[in-house]
Amino acid sequence: MKILVCMKQVPHQDARLDIDGDGTWIKEDGIKFEINSYDTFALEEALRIKDAGEAEVVVVSIGPDRVTQALRTALGMGADRAVHVNDDAVAGSDALAIAKLLAAVAKEESPDLVLMGLMSDDGNATAVAPMVAELMGIPSATGVMKAEAEGDGYRCERELEGGALEVVDLPTPCLIAVQSGLNQVRYASLKGIMAAKKKPIDTKGAGDLGLADQVGTAAAKAQIEKIYQPAKGEGAEIIEGSTDEVVSQLVGKIKELGLL
Amino acid sequence: MGTILIVAELKDGSVREASYELAAFANKIGGDVKSLVIGSGVAGEAESFAKKGGGTVYVADDASLANYNVDGYSAAIRAAIDASGADTVLISNTPTGWDVAPRIAAALDAAFVSDVFNFEDGAYIRRVFNGKLDARVKVAGDKAVVTVQPGALPAFEGSTDGSTETLAVDTSGARAKFVETKVAEAKGVDLTKADVIISGGRGVGDPEKFTEVIQPLAEALGGAMGASRPVVDAGWLPHEYQVGSSGQVVTPKLYVACGISGAIQHLVGMKGSNFIIAINKDPDAPIFEVAQLGVVADLFEVVPALTAALAEAKG
Ligand SMILES: Cc1cc2nc3c(=O)[nH]c(=O)nc-3n(C[C@H](O)[C@H](O)[C@H](O)COP(=O)(O)OP(=O)(O)OC[C@H]3O[C@@H](n4cnc5c(N)ncnc54)[C@H](O)[C@@H]3O)c2cc1C
Repeated sequence: MKILVCMKQVPHQDARLDIDGDGTWIKEDGIKFEINSYDTFALEEALRIKDAGEAEVVVVSIGPDRVTQALRTALGMGADRAVHVNDDAVAGSDALAIAKLLAAVAKEESPDLVLMGLMSDDGNATAVAPMVAELMGIPSATGVMKAEAEGDGYRCERELEGGALEVVDLPTPCLIAVQSGLNQVRYASLKGIMAAKKKPIDTKGAGDLGLADQVGTAAAKAQIEKIYQPAKGEGAEIIEGSTDEVVSQLVGKIKELGLL
Repeated sequence: MGTILIVAELKDGSVREASYELAAFANKIGGDVKSLVIGSGVAGEAESFAKKGGGTVYVADDASLANYNVDGYSAAIRAAIDASGADTVLISNTPTGWDVAPRIAAALDAAFVSDVFNFEDGAYIRRVFNGKLDARVKVAGDKAVVTVQPGALPAFEGSTDGSTETLAVDTSGARAKFVETKVAEAKGVDLTKADVIISGGRGVGDPEKFTEVIQPLAEALGGAMGASRPVVDAGWLPHEYQVGSSGQVVTPKLYVACGISGAIQHLVGMKGSNFIIAINKDPDAPIFEVAQLGVVADLFEVVPALTAALAEAKG
């Protein structure tokens, strides 16, 4: 069986977010990047299926040279090989263009199972996974907290509001977009990192996937015009001063609330 | 002006509040408003929605649509888009919405904008980077699928002169099969009854710190511990401590958020608290927008000092 894991490299969750010159994204130079947190759970789920039996795990990611780092990490954790869509023309693409690229890679790979994260920590769009499934013509489930092989497919538990779960059966091939927390994600071992150096990363451009005219800013149907600090409302009263001063004001407030 | 199709969502047999919010949102965008109600035995709800913001309501009423199923719902929504000639489709950003909406956008090769909370000067406004920045998003092309954050806008309250129309939907091609819904398990820790909740987020760093720093403050105030989702995901605390849209919704007398940034999914679980104190080293953290009192500092300095001072104050 073959599992394709789609992952995105995103600014580190603790990175400084300064807005770039044209005001449409953040400044990327000088900040750290990491694998999107939701995608790490998807990768872990794939590796668990591999550990439990026979499966080849292929990871794919779209982005500039820095993405090699994320792919190497995934290979170090146990993925078998990687596909890197690295093409300057892809910059400025919307979610649909990204989904088209991933679906094109998926068509070449024809996996039994595609695993992805529910959303990305930067764009927060929860868009790409179901789009990839639609473009591949396969069923999908999002926000999955548990996936188990069952019959000719997977039984998935989708998280609803307040902690309720919706159980759905998907026949393979299918796409599962996982919610954070469905497993505990492993670290790459030293041995794994060494082994990863020999694992192949296949690089492609949009043209190789027949999508040269459907990516980038010009083709984007949803375009970010501007990003900015959210308008601040009244907000909290910020207590300034030394730790002692801060603490004495907090104690005062807690007394006033009648909680002491 | 184009045609806007609202995809209403039912919960326990009734149209959800979020669907009435979509009706208000549709009016804000401006256009001819039509709607879709999906389910089994939903004619009555569809009638009433038609009069309360829905306008012309297409009714996809079929036993196979009694429960949510991505393929069946997808077929119903696409049939309603064809029938209505809609150029903008509005869907609530709920577990159902985020499961089906992107598939519709991909099938139509349409623009997709998700989790928007406003529409201003021709652009959709949404939050990015887990609440830290806002983005104005413009749509190009002739069709758009937009999901809207529940609770972002007040619900439509007027009346509309609408009627219903039966929509035939072929769900025979559905591959995904609904099995059952499992209700949330009863919690060992019922945070909804606590007067004081001291919550820790990813900023607490590791499980030991919860025991060393967060728990003593909770004990000093006779309160309970709470947590944001990453804390639970990492296994530092069990799920029953999680506050937020996929955890518990709490309204204590005092909620102290330590090392929590304030993503919307956390805020919906605690913003109704009587008094909120936020301790975070990032002055721009969105949590300060819902807190009444804020401390911009390292929680590892402030929290233990506060615990000690409370012990002293109690004598
Ligand atoms: C469908 C869905 C459902 C979700 N449900 C929930 C839910 O129920 N509950 C929930 O909480 N989240 C939920 N989330 C996740 C949510 O989007 C955020 O990812 C999460 O709330 C972030 O948690 P956090 O604030 O602890 O972490 P971060 O956003 O990483 O914030 C950590 C904060 O700690 C601060 N910090 C770090 N070190 C220190 C220090 N030493 N002193 C002071 N401050 C420090 C940082 O400045 C930062 O602001 C959900 C997401 C999705 C998609």
